[in-house]
Amino acid sequence: MNIIQRTLFLTLLSTCCSTAFAYDMVPAAKPQAATLLKNATVHTVLNGTLPHTDLLLENGKIKAIGSHLTDASATVVDLTDKHVYPGLIALDTTLGLTEISMVRSTNDTSDVGDDNPQLLAAAAYNPDSELLPTVRANGITHAQSTPRGDGLAGQSVLVNLDAWTIEDATHAATAQYHLYWPELPRVYADSERTKKAAEAYQQAVKRIKQHFNAAYRYQLSITGKPHQKEDIRWQALEPLFKGNGKLFVHADQQQAIEEAAALARQYQLPLVIVGGYDAWRLADMLNELHAAVIYTHCLDLPERTDDPIAQAFKIPGLLKKVGIPFAIGFSDDWDSRNLPLAAAQTVAWGLTQEEALKAITYDAAQLLGANGLGAIVEGYDASLVVSDGDILDPMTSKIDALYIDGRQVDLNNRHRQLYQKYLKR
Amino acid sequence: MNYKTFTAGLCTLACLTTQAGESQLTDNTPTLTALTHATLILAPGSELSNATLLLENNRIKAILPENNIPQNAFEINLSGLRIYPGFIDPYAEYGIELPQNSAKAQPPVYNIKRIGGNAANGAIHAEKEWFSKVYPDPKAAENWMNNGFTSVQSAHLDGIFQGTAVTLSLADKKANEIIYNARGKQFMAFNKGSSPQDYPTSLMGSIALIRQTFSDARWYNDSLAKVKDYPDDVKAPDFNIALERLRNIKEQGVIFNSGNLNSELRAAKLLKQQGLKVQLLGSGEEYARISELAAYHPQLILPLNFPAAPDVSNETAAANVTLSELRHWERAPANPVAVAAANIPFALTQHGIEANAFWPRLKMAVAAGLTEKQALTALTTQAAELAGIANVAGKLAPGYMADLVITQGNPFVDGKIVSVWLQGKEHALRPKSYRWHGDYKLRFAQMELDLSLTMPDSTADKSRGSFISGDKELAITAIDADEQRLNFTSDLSSAGLPGISRFTLWRDNEGIRGRLLLADGKVEPVNGQIVAMPTPATAHETPKDVNYLGHQVTPIQAFGVDSLPVTEKLHIQNATVWTSAAAGILQHTDVLIANGKIERIGQQLATPSHYQVIDANGKYLTAGIIDEHSHIAINGGVNEGSEAVTAEVRIGDVIDPNAIAIYRSLAGGVTTANLLHGSANPIGGQAQVIQLRWGETAEGLKFKEANKGIKFALGENVKQSNWGENYNKRFPQSRMGVQTLFTDTFNAALDYDARRQEYAELRSRDKRKTLEPRPDYRMETVAEVVKGERDVHIHSYVQSEILMFMRLAEAYDFKVKTFTHVLEGYKVAPELAAHGAGASTFADWWAYKFEVYDAIPQNACLLQQHGVLTSINSDDNEMQRRLNQEAAKSIKYCNMSAEDAWKMVTINPAKQLGVDDVTGSIEVGKQADLVLWDHNPLSAYAKTEAVWINGKRYFDRQQDAQKTQAIAEEREALIQKVLHSSEERKRGEQSALEQEPMWHCDTEYNAWNRQKEHAL
Repeated sequence: MNIIQRTLFLTLLSTCCSTAFAYDMVPAAKPQAATLLKNATVHTVLNGTLPHTDLLLENGKIKAIGSHLTDASATVVDLTDKHVYPGLIALDTTLGLTEISMVRSTNDTSDVGDDNPQLLAAAAYNPDSELLPTVRANGITHAQSTPRGDGLAGQSVLVNLDAWTIEDATHAATAQYHLYWPELPRVYADSERTKKAAEAYQQAVKRIKQHFNAAYRYQLSITGKPHQKEDIRWQALEPLFKGNGKLFVHADQQQAIEEAAALARQYQLPLVIVGGYDAWRLADMLNELHAAVIYTHCLDLPERTDDPIAQAFKIPGLLKKVGIPFAIGFSDDWDSRNLPLAAAQTVAWGLTQEEALKAITYDAAQLLGANGLGAIVEGYDASLVVSDGDILDPMTSKIDALYIDGRQVDLNNRHRQLYQKYLKR
Repeated sequence: MNYKTFTAGLCTLACLTTQAGESQLTDNTPTLTALTHATLILAPGSELSNATLLLENNRIKAILPENNIPQNAFEINLSGLRIYPGFIDPYAEYGIELPQNSAKAQPPVYNIKRIGGNAANGAIHAEKEWFSKVYPDPKAAENWMNNGFTSVQSAHLDGIFQGTAVTLSLADKKANEIIYNARGKQFMAFNKGSSPQDYPTSLMGSIALIRQTFSDARWYNDSLAKVKDYPDDVKAPDFNIALERLRNIKEQGVIFNSGNLNSELRAAKLLKQQGLKVQLLGSGEEYARISELAAYHPQLILPLNFPAAPDVSNETAAANVTLSELRHWERAPANPVAVAAANIPFALTQHGIEANAFWPRLKMAVAAGLTEKQALTALTTQAAELAGIANVAGKLAPGYMADLVITQGNPFVDGKIVSVWLQGKEHALRPKSYRWHGDYKLRFAQMELDLSLTMPDSTADKSRGSFISGDKELAITAIDADEQRLNFTSDLSSAGLPGISRFTLWRDNEGIRGRLLLADGKVEPVNGQIVAMPTPATAHETPKDVNYLGHQVTPIQAFGVDSLPVTEKLHIQNATVWTSAAAGILQHTDVLIANGKIERIGQQLATPSHYQVIDANGKYLTAGIIDEHSHIAINGGVNEGSEAVTAEVRIGDVIDPNAIAIYRSLAGGVTTANLLHGSANPIGGQAQVIQLRWGETAEGLKFKEANKGIKFALGENVKQSNWGENYNKRFPQSRMGVQTLFTDTFNAALDYDARRQEYAELRSRDKRKTLEPRPDYRMETVAEVVKGERDVHIHSYVQSEILMFMRLAEAYDFKVKTFTHVLEGYKVAPELAAHGAGASTFADWWAYKFEVYDAIPQNACLLQQHGVLTSINSDDNEMQRRLNQEAAKSIKYCNMSAEDAWKMVTINPAKQLGVDDVTGSIEVGKQADLVLWDHNPLSAYAKTEAVWINGKRYFDRQQDAQKTQAIAEEREALIQKVLHSSEERKRGEQSALEQEPMWHCDTEYNAWNRQKEHAL
């Protein structure tokens, strides 16, 4: 162990065992020197798994990948017997928007109405949330912080999970508009209730269609007439109509997905289905639209009593089979730290480990239009995770280090602090 | 007086004069009436053709086989018609005059305004005697009369104890004249109905309330008897008419409306336990668990509530239809057939369906194989027995009420009811001309022609008819008929009679006679006979619709089983065996299983004869997973969250053996689960440990060897922190109050126990003179806890409350068995260890509410390091099937050993449930509750291959694949059957198979309006 390595080791040790409070977990500064990670098993995602491989990180990017790399000025870290993965990307979370879901004052996830495309998650995102350090401790470097609600609920933002402010946290990505498709009506024993539910659904769908119609008229009008009075809602949709954004429709059942797809087709909007339980049944329709899916039910029960008992686990394998591009999400706040487990769950049911990993890294980044993220490729962001074992399986996954844009992030968090504190009791 | 009011006044006078006067004269009109030449159905299976029924006043006077009627009788010739005894509906709400409803109170309502010396609970009206509210309602009566019913057993169908029903005639007469049986059965239901009181919000609450009420009634009436015998020694208990009226409940009998099959079985069990006859309003789903039901020797009142065909018209709708709905649609019409085949006596009721659906449905049942005799028994003699009027109705016999059904043809096939007679008075249901409906053979002018007449059911429709001559059909026109005479015209020139022929026919005892006026003015005589009516078709002996595509499995839904698995003799070879015992993890090891037990563990064992070998090379064998905290397989609410203390309610009363969660969790390797009451109140209900024996009955799921348990709860849920603005009245609203409430309740329970003990120890001579302390199941259960006879599983989060409760238990000298959730357990781990409490926690949950903001995923490790018996629980249907992964998280977060992690979901929870001497590890002599895995069981990549409970294979991965395939095929076949079926066959009731929500600790559900009330 050379001196630099020893220093680094001690640094790691001290951060890991400090009993400071969360606000003492200081966002890592940009390193002065390059970092050279030596002799790791590198899971590149795009180019297979490379044993005994070195990575050189410089200026926040992966500068080189190879064996026996050298750089005299670099901080060298020996990663023998360790695994390096690209940082995991948690899609469809409410991280930074909620702290304790049952304490109303800590919730900034949704607002009133179903015509709120102008709402920006970025305006409410709390980079000091106590939840964030617990999530990144599981290897998650980035998250899609997503508004909830009815109908058009607002725009999500892709953030890195170690930042001073939202501006520091924001990662470049396409504009992300969220549309929550109304829940399909259920059939109740009481036929009056069934009828009302059906009517409510029709009404909600009608309103959504009206919103898109209004937004479309607005887009026509601002191109034709310079003095159109601004409508904050439809103005916010301009990038989407111009093809510079994506419409994320939260829908699971076939009918809802079909209706959403028809809407996307009508206005030629790039479409992503979030949830997507039935999406695999609609390959022709979705592939024709070049739509993608964020599948979020890896750790769920089957949607229907008669479904195969492992249906929720099998769906990513089915999506693969029918050729629909997809990523895996785990829609939650604190629980989004279980994203790697969600991906692992598909491995016994149709995906390979590599495919499962890709679904929570590269595929997730691509889906958000975040280029240069989610794989270990020269020139890509140096956002990486170092693990003792297989990162997907909780039995083996032990996160040793995390890099975001080349900065080594403090892995301490509220849980470790309390753990350390009570170890002393 | 202006002009307007003057004319109005005139009109009033004029209107009065047109009404019938109130005659003050004696009515001595003779009433002896002979209905002659009819076919009499005296009782099911007993028929008399061409006979006379002699009526006088409101009763049957005689049966005259020869039509020799007394000369003073007025004769009505009913040749070609059939007379049945009037039908009886033993379950109805008819002719009960109620006061206006008062306004409903806003929830929560903990105590009701009690008016009069009635029951303490607003759903108990045992004292009501509905004869006192009888008033005829001719309009409503038509609903029954149109179907041939002449009397009903009736009560106001509201509440749990609904009061004593009255059996009454549907005749429009004075109340006194129509009451056949003033005191019928006590009607009961689980649904609390319109009671504004919160308690009970759940099904188990209802069951507990019923149990307590029966006990109270016994105690009350015994006490009154003592008062009578020893007026100086015994003081009477507070007056309570509801309890007093239940004194003779055994003789009176109960009819119980339970709602669905699971609850029907619960009602059967409850009534049997109370020593009452099992008489139930059926669910219409009896066929699905018929032998289980038959074991209670019930009598049923079956509704014909056949479901409408599920909507499978489009893909989305079809996708959401369940196999159980499809199967039920197909099978429901044959339900009465199945009930009859099981030799369960039953009556039929119109309850639960529209009146005009009754006969079409009954005919569907007949088409499905219900015999005419069975159907008639159900409508007459059996119904009479259940309505308490077998001595006056249900048969044609002298002295019986003259309540009759007159039909043309066989009503069970294609015949029609033409009229009903109520107490000797006819009430026509079809126009008189309907008598002519049928086929005739007519002879006139040297020719013989067949005449077919279709007469209208109601005056709105037109009559139609035609002559058949060879293959020619000659229309008839200008049909005009009354009861005896028929006129029509026809152009018979093609048959050789030129011009338009005019017919006049009449009927007499011999047949048809009449005359024909030809075009030339000549008259020809006509005679002929009735062809179709006197010999009505009988029901098919072999039913048509018996080609069922739906599989008859248990439970009757997807993944149900044809038969229960058998006890296997197995030699599992060369597995990696995780014993969860001192032996640790054994490589390349064999396990022998026989008689449901683990017989031997060793290496390279010889295979005894008749043992099946399983090659488990590369596979892992573990004990079955045990979940200390689960809410699967529960019906009607997981919380009786109405009052702060509800120790009397029992999860064991509401086990749902149909829950698909059982099968799904079984597939995840779970063999045992502790089903807990929720956490809505400090002292919740009694727990029930089950084994996941998929396909078994509710009783068969229960793990008899487990300790008695109860759910307690602390913190935000019990102090109603998140229940909304209306819920801030119930004590306690703070953790301080929670402590007080426990203390107070423990004191009350100890006091209760001491008083009961004191009484029990009295000499029997003194007992007779001493008022017994009222048995109180709530206090009895709490006393069990304080005396250490019932284990506490206490929902808890923060350290203050954990410590508080431990110290409280210590003060009362009992041990807390398990703190469940206990997310801040790590802060007081030494104290937990010192007390000897177990801990059952989530692997990594936190931040969903304020009291879990300090929860950490290292909790299990810290607890374990301090020597606390620690397990991981799910409290969640989904997570339960991946408890192996949850256990693995302690390896990730705090380096627990794999062996210790695995114990947290096997032997440790077994100890917490008191079943560690039976299961929870792989040791010789223990129950063979085993799981075979394809990977390291702690890995996220592991799948179960087979799961055994007691040496029986309840889950098998390959069988599951076959089942999955079969389910898809059966669904498609049944969907096709629906699509091919007639509109008539598609009609029916909205499915009652609506799914209940999935329960969590904090699901607060109103079982009666099927709504989630609020989040906790």
